[in-house]
Amino acid sequence: MNTKVLVAPSPHVHSGDSIQKNMYGVVFAMLPALLFSFFYFGLGALVVTLTAVASCYLFEFLIQKYILKTEVTINDGSALITGILLAFNVPSNLPIWIIMIGALVAIGIGKMTFGGLGNNVFNPALVGRVFLLISFPVQMTSWPVSKGLTSGYIDVETGATPLAIIKEGLKSGQSLSSLMDKIPSNMDMFLGNMGGSMGEIAGAALVLGLIYMLIRKIITWHIPVAVIGSVAILTGILHMISPEAYAGPVFHILTGGLLLGAIFMATDYVTSPMSNKGMIIYGVGIGVLTVVIRVFGAYPEGVSFAILIMNAFVPLINVYVKPKRFGEKRK
Amino acid sequence: MAGKKESTFINMVLVLFIVTLVASAALGGLYELTKEPIAAAKLAKKLKAIKEVVPEFDNNPSEEMYSVEMPTGDLLEFYPAKKGSELVGTAVKTFTTNGFSGYIWIMVGFKPDGSINNYSVLEHKETPGLGTKMEPWFKTTDPAKAKCSILGKNPGTANLTVSKDGGEVDAITAATISSRAFLDAVQTAYNEYNKQMEGGTK
Amino acid sequence: MTNKDIFLRGFFKENAVFTLLLGMCPTLGVTSSAINGLGMGLATTFVLIMSNLVISLVSSFIPDKVKIPSFIVIIASFVTMVDLLMAGYVPALHEQLGVFIPLIVVNCVVLGRAEAFASKNKMVPSIIDGISMGLGFAMALTMLGAIREFFGSGKMFGVTLFNETYGMLVFVLAPGAFIALGYLIAFINRVRKA
Repeated sequence: MNTKVLVAPSPHVHSGDSIQKNMYGVVFAMLPALLFSFFYFGLGALVVTLTAVASCYLFEFLIQKYILKTEVTINDGSALITGILLAFNVPSNLPIWIIMIGALVAIGIGKMTFGGLGNNVFNPALVGRVFLLISFPVQMTSWPVSKGLTSGYIDVETGATPLAIIKEGLKSGQSLSSLMDKIPSNMDMFLGNMGGSMGEIAGAALVLGLIYMLIRKIITWHIPVAVIGSVAILTGILHMISPEAYAGPVFHILTGGLLLGAIFMATDYVTSPMSNKGMIIYGVGIGVLTVVIRVFGAYPEGVSFAILIMNAFVPLINVYVKPKRFGEKRK
Repeated sequence: MAGKKESTFINMVLVLFIVTLVASAALGGLYELTKEPIAAAKLAKKLKAIKEVVPEFDNNPSEEMYSVEMPTGDLLEFYPAKKGSELVGTAVKTFTTNGFSGYIWIMVGFKPDGSINNYSVLEHKETPGLGTKMEPWFKTTDPAKAKCSILGKNPGTANLTVSKDGGEVDAITAATISSRAFLDAVQTAYNEYNKQMEGGTK
Repeated sequence: MTNKDIFLRGFFKENAVFTLLLGMCPTLGVTSSAINGLGMGLATTFVLIMSNLVISLVSSFIPDKVKIPSFIVIIASFVTMVDLLMAGYVPALHEQLGVFIPLIVVNCVVLGRAEAFASKNKMVPSIIDGISMGLGFAMALTMLGAIREFFGSGKMFGVTLFNETYGMLVFVLAPGAFIALGYLIAFINRVRKA
């Protein structure tokens, strides 16, 4: 059954790879970011992660067993990844019932409606996150201030993300340079000392995960580099045109969910293109859309929307940018 | 279904002419019939908004309406509410362009001393669940949220900006931009209202 | 085909929304609450009945080449009538449905029934077809509106069932319309198969 859900076309030289092996590799790569989030947000992060993972398993089991009446495949590790990614994408003080709705949407709407793992068009965790963001905007944008291990589950003290500070400030007519004083230093942001979703704050830990996945050949470099590169170039150009109106590339790369999205969510096997060229088109699309939403849109953050939009283009990209078959001549 | 007309030029013109003639005659008649109820409904809606924001009155404020053109080219409309000949309040239809997306139109009622009697949000495109809360938010009677309410405050003496900017009003949770915009519209209304009162025109 | 067959076909078997997937614009656009869905559905029903009635009477006099323009004029007249009447007598609902009332003109259900049924049938079956299609449409819109209102704001026909803070806002917004409609159609297909 497990081999049946691999729907990518040949060639498939079997090298002992399996869904489980790759999935648990991804989970292992997420560990540093997970530990960082426990470190910064304490108990809340742990509660959110456990709830998200447990509900993802539960809903996958219930839907497969009682609604679809198919073989239950919850051991393939994909529910674990969806659960952790969902937790990564929400504030660490999100009420438990909202997380459970998110898990139900991620698994139910995002994955099972399309026919389960391998058939879903959109990244399930992101479907869950965007659903929650639109449905519960207050709870989803009240970020607890990171206080280290001592903080409890529900924390009253909340702060804005650096992206929201900039967006709001510019909207009310303040200058960018005065706003830059209000946000953490680049080093702080790289190490995760800022407001934000659980998994997106610690750039260093995410990069560690990326290096691990590249070495283990779980993913290739194309998507993360294309996403981050296009964001860097585009924001760089905007910053050069008007330094007072647009923040620079370093700021855009380190803040929000860009690293998390580029490394863990855009690279999801099922919802990203198959060929290297396709991956680069897809990655650049995500980067450009992210910048457009962040700079010109209503929401301060646009990575999750950008990835979902490009997910929808993946089938098209796969049709037009096919991997070259072995021995095929260039036309 | 026998006897279908041939698609000749004359037939087509004739049929279309008759169809449109009957249709337009019917519509014209109905328009005359519904003209009055529609106008009445529109007026009732406006009066309802005015009634909501000023103390009880017995004149027809929309007849005594006057307006001031703002730099954006939009009109600020003033509806004086009177009981007998005494001015009991003025409803000001005001707006702001500082909202999250597009215009926000609100009706604010001032008592003659300049304090805010009540307000009503007429039109906006703010984010549902965030900015949309401005209708109940700034007129809460919950004592725990006393810092949210603007009722009874006088924009001339009180600093009606969000507490984040050093003002006296607590912004809507997670919707500071909409809150700022809302208060900006109230302030605009007050400034113009004040000018009118000092000018002694009414 | 008996009149009863015509009625059942239009109401359920060939339901405009669930089977024919016609009239998607108002279906998705106005169903943010049950009452809006019902209002829109009944307005469309009225237009359907009247246009079916008139078209079944006059279609034999209309040359083929100007059939569609004539039908559109007739439909548009009834839509404008509904628009004026609603603006005059139920202004609150009229404001809610707003731009979608004039858009009944281009609702494929109305022109579709005029062309496919009323122009080829006698008056009585045409009226029955208009009633059944219209009520089927109204039922679908009310169901969708009720679902969206319930999940989105915890209400049903304006009656609060649970605290609004637990409502999922997405259902009141456009994406929720698509999600709810998709699952509703899936559910109905399943019921039909069983």
